[in-house]
Amino acid sequence: MSSSDNMSSLPSPPEPDKSPCPFYPNHLFVEGVCALAVFAAIVIVALVWQVPLEEIADPGDATYVPRPDWYFLFYFQLLKYFQGPLIVVGTFVLPVLVMAVLILLPFFDKGKATGIRKRPLAAAAGLAGVVSIVALTAVSVLEDESHTTKMVLPPVTEAQIAAGEKIFASFCQICHSIDGKGGFMAMAPDLTEIASRVSRARIEQIIIDPQVVSPTTIMSVIPLSEEERHNVSAYLSRKK
Amino acid sequence: MGRIYQFLDERLNLTPLLRDITDHPVPDHANVLKTRSAFIYCFGGIAFFIILLQALSGVFLMLYYSPTPEDAHASVTYIQNETAFGALLQGLHRVGASAAVIMVLLHMLRVFFTGSYKNPRELNWVVGVFLLLIVLAFGFTGYLLPWDQKAYWATTVGLNMVANVPLIGDFLASALRGGNEMGTLTLLRFFVIHVMFLPALLAIFLAAHFFMLRRQGISRPL
Ligand code: HEC
Ligand code: HEM
Repeated sequence: MSSSDNMSSLPSPPEPDKSPCPFYPNHLFVEGVCALAVFAAIVIVALVWQVPLEEIADPGDATYVPRPDWYFLFYFQLLKYFQGPLIVVGTFVLPVLVMAVLILLPFFDKGKATGIRKRPLAAAAGLAGVVSIVALTAVSVLEDESHTTKMVLPPVTEAQIAAGEKIFASFCQICHSIDGKGGFMAMAPDLTEIASRVSRARIEQIIIDPQVVSPTTIMSVIPLSEEERHNVSAYLSRKK
Repeated sequence: MGRIYQFLDERLNLTPLLRDITDHPVPDHANVLKTRSAFIYCFGGIAFFIILLQALSGVFLMLYYSPTPEDAHASVTYIQNETAFGALLQGLHRVGASAAVIMVLLHMLRVFFTGSYKNPRELNWVVGVFLLLIVLAFGFTGYLLPWDQKAYWATTVGLNMVANVPLIGDFLASALRGGNEMGTLTLLRFFVIHVMFLPALLAIFLAAHFFMLRRQGISRPL
């Protein structure tokens, strides 16, 4: 089987260079050196970095904030911008569109030029893609960091708890049951013992951004003032 | 060595085969020894090398791993703490997974920015897009296997997203999950997909990728 015969019929045959460098052994040697370097790097990282293994999965613990592996973070972040009825845009329309564009790319980008300087449009599109993926990943990491920084919470007072109970009754109890009252949405967990599961700071975070519970949550953002929020979290922090 | 080779060659006629694999020239613009910037042409090869490493470390991890919700976490702890080089092996597999994704993405960017997907290499680009999806699917399914908190909840979110696909979403999600709840079947399915289906798919697509690569040669800048 000689492949050189077939080459001549192809539109752009790889012309032989003046001093061709054979694949074996010369090129394979270079690749081998690269591969060894990469292998060494992987071994070093694997040795230095203890692979994290968290607690065994607990299907009852809906408070866990899941994160995908880093290379899915951009998508995870993107989904946060598509809520409610728009969610299919994030989970279906966009991925299918992007895949279609990627697969069809060589069939509509037919220009002869391959050098990047001669293809400003392709260059811009590619760059925009890379930049947005990097940016979304960065935003995701930064948001997570700001969420985990400690919040300064005022000490719990009885007045706060009483005020919090009222706010909870008017804004939250439609979905969440508490002490056997309310809770008309099956998916919203009962909060009677919430404080035994979740810290007060965490409750505050959930009120500010319910998506910290899960990016597809149906819990809505409830526009409470800072004080009202502290009151609700004070109230809930006594529910053990 | 020589005599063994001769023995095999006489019986199996290896020489034409080997020549076909080894004798094609590498053009200057893709040769690091001649052109410095040619290192970008190495990314595909490095990705392939890492994938081989993943297969190797994965096979060894499988010696101890047990794909049930009761045992998975304990078996991973066991690999990490009790087996010889287990922690290193698991580290290699985990770090290697990230490295593979990085290399495949870099390789794809190289192909994109050098315009190498153009005529006559359209089909190889399409095969490449599927390779990318396969590599990501390895990541998604592998993430569940340790059955720790992040594994369980990240996969829950992932399957909820699948369920959001119109019309077939619910069917797809419950097919992957093996029912309506994450559990024994889910873990077994993800495991089998990770160690059987995806490797088979990957092998087929890689074979197509490399076959086309040899037929068409590496692209040259225009
Ligand atoms: C539209 C219905 C709805 C409303 C209104 C609502 N929630 Fe939620 N909430 C949910 C759902 C659903 C979840 C479960 C999150 C998930 O997994 O999607 C949840 C989760 C939570 C959790 C985490 C529970 C746990 O067990 O970890 C807390 C805390 C919480 N909500 C507090 C509140 C507070 C405080 C309010 C009022 C300010 C409120 N919610 C209003 C639907 C709602
Ligand atoms: C499993 C992952 C992959 C492996 C192991 C792989 C391997 C390779 C190798 C070794 C080459 C030779 C040139 C080089 O190394 O740059 C190559 C070429 C090529 N790859 Fe991939 N590849 C993978 C994924 C992809 C992806 C995701 C794409 C694009 C979507 C792609 C598109 C191409 C194309 C079009 C060529 C021909 C380029 C040319 O002739 O210049 N590949 N691939």
